[in-house]
Amino acid sequence: MNPLDRSNASSGEEAKVIKGYRFPTDLYYHREHTWVRVEADGNVRVGMNHFFTKAAGVIVNIELPEEESEVMQGGVCGKIQSSKWIGNLVSPVKGRILRVNRDLMNDTTLVNTDPYGRGWVFVIKSFNLQDDLKRLLRPDQLDDWLVAEIEKAEAEKRMRKERRIRY
Amino acid sequence: MLKLFNLGEMPGLDSMTVFHALARLGIESLVVASPRDPIVSVGYFEDTEESVDLDFCVEQAISVMRREIGGGTTYLDRDQVFYQLILRKGNFIIPIRIVDRYRLFSRPPIQTYRRFGIEAAFRPINDLCTRQGRKIAGEAGGDIGECMVFAGGILIDFDHLKASRVVRSPDLTFRDMVYRSMKENITSMKRELGEAPQRKEVESALIEEYEKLLGPMEPAELSPAVREMMTQLEKDLTSPRSISGKGVNPRMQVKIAEGVRVVQRLRKVPGGLIRITMEVRNNTLGDITISGDCTFSLKDRLQNLERALTGLKLERDVLKRVLDGFHSEYSIQSPQVTAEDLVETMLSQ
Repeated sequence: MNPLDRSNASSGEEAKVIKGYRFPTDLYYHREHTWVRVEADGNVRVGMNHFFTKAAGVIVNIELPEEESEVMQGGVCGKIQSSKWIGNLVSPVKGRILRVNRDLMNDTTLVNTDPYGRGWVFVIKSFNLQDDLKRLLRPDQLDDWLVAEIEKAEAEKRMRKERRIRY
Repeated sequence: MLKLFNLGEMPGLDSMTVFHALARLGIESLVVASPRDPIVSVGYFEDTEESVDLDFCVEQAISVMRREIGGGTTYLDRDQVFYQLILRKGNFIIPIRIVDRYRLFSRPPIQTYRRFGIEAAFRPINDLCTRQGRKIAGEAGGDIGECMVFAGGILIDFDHLKASRVVRSPDLTFRDMVYRSMKENITSMKRELGEAPQRKEVESALIEEYEKLLGPMEPAELSPAVREMMTQLEKDLTSPRSISGKGVNPRMQVKIAEGVRVVQRLRKVPGGLIRITMEVRNNTLGDITISGDCTFSLKDRLQNLERALTGLKLERDVLKRVLDGFHSEYSIQSPQVTAEDLVETMLSQ
């Protein structure tokens, strides 16, 4: 196994594997590539999914949300940088940010190496959990959306190889 | 159909706020523009106080702004032709992988250079370089609002002196090394061709190449709504709150081009302060200057040491072997400054 890929660590749960990318079955997923774990206290833990960590590359900077700030479902609450690209960190649910993962301030690559465990990004108190969860995807709903994304990424790679495209 | 904003020379800050405004407003477009007056643009996560000589910028009336896309500190002036591509996320043409976005959207500027006889190529992650390996464009990207932005600049000419001067430097040695490294590693159309091409020809070629990639574009003017947003963004992106407040850069390190940086490392040892300023290319030492308030006897031997270190890999075993050998061969007298001290200084972060 690639030592950088420990996406099966920490979750401890069964995972759906789509074209080599892991999606633990106990989580919900947002189309902006965040995952949601509903915790025992009803709060929601959020991180980035395995596919994102591969497509983005090594995470080098992260702007974490402000604790106690409020965010809408789908709202931008921070930024993630990889490969000189600044991506949006999108909240999968509406709520108030309770705490952020300060370990990421010392090691942003936890998002890559342990996306479902130590690479979690923030915990949020959801205002409207049941309604918001209905707008997220369960693992058995990922195929239609994600397979298209993955196949597109792979097609681009193949096309470059086949055409020996050099820019 | 994408809109084309071929804006020519415009106020410096406008040439940067324009893509921020278009992205926020969700207007898919290509902007081609140049800053009439010079500006310094700081990347989203850059530490401005660490990266920019703000006093110099004030003295020279060079505006400083923070952009909402990646990359480092850049000096921008009218000798650069910007290309700024704004596409809505979900547009099928946008590659999934970040590095593939750079590859794809770099094709038009690469082809533009080639049309003028410069063999440019893509160098991951985000540089365009010549066959000789000199950087001839830097690019950056990111998500703004519901759009992705990809931006870069064709270098018709490049003011290495000014670009090195806006970089915050701890001393003249560092600044000089930054200047020399920029001169060696960053080139321009004027340098490659012997004379600068006509700006209009460059702009036309760039637009044609983007149309080959993205299809025909509809020439457009900036609407009042876009201009109003640009005005607001200028206030935001140049405000003290925006300029300061990030701080993730390691101290005293300037990236010149992909794989090339100038760094300065300091270390307090019993014998005093060691200061080592180095150009590092792909983890190999280029120019190096060792100084500080330590007692290095036989100053001319120290320069021999600097020459001996040039070309070595920045790896502990390699450096230790050479430094130990040098110390014993020349009986360098450095009270309380050992070969180990020098190695640790060079390798420190």
